[in-house]
Amino acid sequence: MLSWSSAKTGETADLTAVAAGDGETRLEHGDALLQFATACAERDDDALAAARTALVGETDEAFMVDAAAVAGNFEMMTRLADSTGARMPASVLEDRAQAIGVMGVSTLTSKR
Amino acid sequence: MGNPVIRDDLAEAHRLAWEHIASPGTWWTAAQRVELAGTVKRAIDDADPLPPWVGPSTTEDWCDEQVAPDIAHDMAYRIGRHAGTITGDVARAAMDELGELPYVELCAIASTVGAVMHFCRNIGIDVPDFPAPVDGEPTREHPELATPELNWVPVAAPADETAAVVQAYTGVPAELENTWRMADAQYMPPSEMIHPDWMRRADGLTRAQTELVAARVAQLRECFY
Repeated sequence: MLSWSSAKTGETADLTAVAAGDGETRLEHGDALLQFATACAERDDDALAAARTALVGETDEAFMVDAAAVAGNFEMMTRLADSTGARMPASVLEDRAQAIGVMGVSTLTSKR
Repeated sequence: MGNPVIRDDLAEAHRLAWEHIASPGTWWTAAQRVELAGTVKRAIDDADPLPPWVGPSTTEDWCDEQVAPDIAHDMAYRIGRHAGTITGDVARAAMDELGELPYVELCAIASTVGAVMHFCRNIGIDVPDFPAPVDGEPTREHPELATPELNWVPVAAPADETAAVVQAYTGVPAELENTWRMADAQYMPPSEMIHPDWMRRADGLTRAQTELVAARVAQLRECFY
């Protein structure tokens, strides 16, 4: 969805940076968002507080809350997908082969 | 910094989600639902988590006076903390013990708790307590079911006409409704999914910024989907 949405809007998000959690994402506020998203999914409270402060500093509090809600949503959707065995049709997997490779997810246990 | 302001639709979706957890479900009583939600919360909070293959019911400090079955708690813990490790065999074993649709409802309880808990942590506020369980019996209502190719769990017929994540909870409509009400407020309304330039508000996240957050969290949760 990231590669699709960024291509459709003329932005060219760098999936390699997203996968690595570091680097130039090529999106406005992308670095602060990437650090925030990473901290949301990890367990270091100090790192999360710092990433939150940095994101609010670049944007505003409402922007940070929206990003936090998106992160929360994917805590929901990943549990939904992994517990119910959700998988994509083969045709979709073929379409997304490049993104799957760049994001390094093809070896995950949850691949099915 | 004080507590951030949470927009009304998001605060309401989360308030309703907690109210939903504490209400009689389709297959579980409210007391069982709140108890299972507590196990999910424990799993997410655990500073020294159990490994994926160990359920909390097998540990020495387990209280055996629970109102929900041990295997439901064990699955609640695993979905809460190690969802990416769940295999078809593990899910099948749980469904054989609990029933297929009670398992789906359990998955929905766990995913709901995960969303609200992580959102609270993400913005730096305390997670609200679960409300007291509401008296009442499970409704046991379900639609006509079908066996999908794209999920392990039964779904409302006809199967596989929507994405696997969309149809996953259709066998338990009350959970489907709660989940997508939350997704509307947290992410975007389903009707906007096809619009790459959708934004919740003028100075909010662009679609690409939204998907960057989504992709990074899903990657770190090791979710292939």
